[in-house]
Amino acid sequence: MQLAKFKNINALLATATCSLFSNTVLATPLMNASDNSDIHNDNSWKIDTALMYYAETDRVSALEGIIAAKKDFGEEHILSGKLVFDTLTGASASGAVPQKTPQTYTRPSGKAQYRTPSNTTPLDDTFRDTRLQFNVQWSQPISEQDKISTGIQLSREYDYQSIAVNGGYTRELNQKNTAIFTGLSFAFDTLAPEGGRPVPLSAMVVDNTEGISGDNNISFKDAFEATRQQGGENTRNTVDLMFGVTQVINRRWIMQLNYGYSQVDGYLTDPFKVVSVVNDQGDALNQLHENRPSERTKHNIYWQNKAHFDEAVFDLSYRYSFDDWKISSHAIESKLRWPLTSSTYIQPSIRYYQQDAAEFYTPFITDDQPIPEYASADYRIGKLTTMTFGAKYLQELENNHSWGVRMEYYIQTPKNAGFEAVGQLQDLELYEEVKAFVVQFNYSF
Amino acid sequence: MKKRYIIQYAFISLSLIYLNGCTMLGVQPWERDLISKESMSLSVDDLDASLDDHIYFSKEGTSGGRGFSAGGCGCN
Amino acid sequence: MLKTIQKNIYFYLTACLLIGYANLANAVLAPDFALNNTPIAKQLSDLKGRVVYLDFWASWCGPCRKSFPWMNNLQTKYKKDGLVVLAINLDKEVHLAQAFLRDNPALFEISYDPEGNVALAYQLKGMPSSYIINQTGEIAYSHAGFTPKKAQQYEQEITTLLFQ
Repeated sequence: MQLAKFKNINALLATATCSLFSNTVLATPLMNASDNSDIHNDNSWKIDTALMYYAETDRVSALEGIIAAKKDFGEEHILSGKLVFDTLTGASASGAVPQKTPQTYTRPSGKAQYRTPSNTTPLDDTFRDTRLQFNVQWSQPISEQDKISTGIQLSREYDYQSIAVNGGYTRELNQKNTAIFTGLSFAFDTLAPEGGRPVPLSAMVVDNTEGISGDNNISFKDAFEATRQQGGENTRNTVDLMFGVTQVINRRWIMQLNYGYSQVDGYLTDPFKVVSVVNDQGDALNQLHENRPSERTKHNIYWQNKAHFDEAVFDLSYRYSFDDWKISSHAIESKLRWPLTSSTYIQPSIRYYQQDAAEFYTPFITDDQPIPEYASADYRIGKLTTMTFGAKYLQELENNHSWGVRMEYYIQTPKNAGFEAVGQLQDLELYEEVKAFVVQFNYSF
Repeated sequence: MKKRYIIQYAFISLSLIYLNGCTMLGVQPWERDLISKESMSLSVDDLDASLDDHIYFSKEGTSGGRGFSAGGCGCN
Repeated sequence: MLKTIQKNIYFYLTACLLIGYANLANAVLAPDFALNNTPIAKQLSDLKGRVVYLDFWASWCGPCRKSFPWMNNLQTKYKKDGLVVLAINLDKEVHLAQAFLRDNPALFEISYDPEGNVALAYQLKGMPSSYIINQTGEIAYSHAGFTPKKAQQYEQEITTLLFQ
């Protein structure tokens, strides 16, 4: 008994020391403190594929496919690559407040309008995008304990493109019971949104002339153009730094602790989002194009645990994020991989996420106050709670292939971050829930 | 008597831990049977995770943690 | 109970020292241990006078799987020259080892150490680990890991001992 007790103290002390240690050195998916063991390491390509369909009730739907390939060229010289394709259509909240009367808005392109019925969250239904992403990663040992990796990622969408490079270094210590990782990534993005980038906080121009639309209406066109930026920043650069440590605790338990630092500079505003200006009756007078700061510094602390029970494997992770936009968040996710037979398993999962609003988030602006320098009514940077419930079933086939199906239900619950609704807004739903359903198929060979 | 041993033990433990970092944690090389299973790999459901991350990146105000977050707008 | 704790500490300190000086430990006598499952000897020391390739493996270890055809070949090739390939299995559950052996038949001697006592005595640094023991029962070479490149080196060391 006593011995067991001491052992616990000992483990606690060791954990405490590890945590101290981890503040300066810390890990990512690139590393795997448990190699020596790759049974599938048979020098052939390992291909994983997945196809996901995502659908929100009355809003966005998306289809995303991934093909990932990996090959060990011997002695852990590993090349991996991934091709991602996704396509997105549907409606997304514009940021404008709902009203008791139907409203008309100009589409971001300036070429058409959309109408929102009364008592309804305004949704801009013109979203349509296709993205193609490709990345390739190389990793290899440089000594018995040290491993390096490097990679490049290219991403192209209709109105956005991105190139990113990364490098990482992993060192294994204590007979591979500990691995420390450090990595660096640079991303260079360029945007060219349809209809251009709006002048920050300029009012949306709405063409009220009946029967004349788009290109034929010269005065509307000039007015619209006046709300568009002619030059200015259309790029976004990101530097990511990461430190991680992976530690085997005992025969059944492994954990990882990461610290991530991210510095983003450039155009960080969402060109399609607006903020309503309302009077004391809650009537929307006009819609201002949102404006966000051109810099953001983010910090992430991520802690993942894997525990092996007699049969099942339990995965528990926690992430704490905070940044200088004053958004802080907690995310807790757990999964239980429960074998049904020697070749099948079922994996229920649950995730809880909670964030605080950015300091410049506001659901609307009242006309008796000066217009702030930065403002956004995007609920995604407001106070928000989300829950995800999921389940996966996977079956391994005799030829070393496997197939799986996964389903998820995702609920976003925006919350009032302490803003007092005025006039008619008191009777309207400013924080509408969004529900999404995800179904996904996997096949590996 | 017991107390003295406890103090002694704590002292020795502490010094050992500080000298050797986390060597007290972990397993012997031949005890990695469970740790080395694919299901115990920290990146086992990598594709699922990257799809989830893409959804959360598009729908929530903060993202990342697992790895580098770079690439793509993922707006709306 | 407290004695046990003290013993643990001493053991730990000794282990640290051993690990620290492992590089200098070239000519130590191979720790003796009892063999099970093999008719050729009751314990390791019975094999004195012969060169022993002592391997430690487990069913879950990928490189171990790759070493099996090589060890089969090694045993067949140098049997007449007095080489004994002895592979100690470290699976906690023996049936996992037996399933592995059905898929990967072994033409050499197998012994089981599910408690890891022998592994502990040899202070293994990785999986697989191997020790080349000379005719006088000393550890001449010790190795961790198995790759085709390393295998070449191991074979060279064995032939050196066999034909010196």
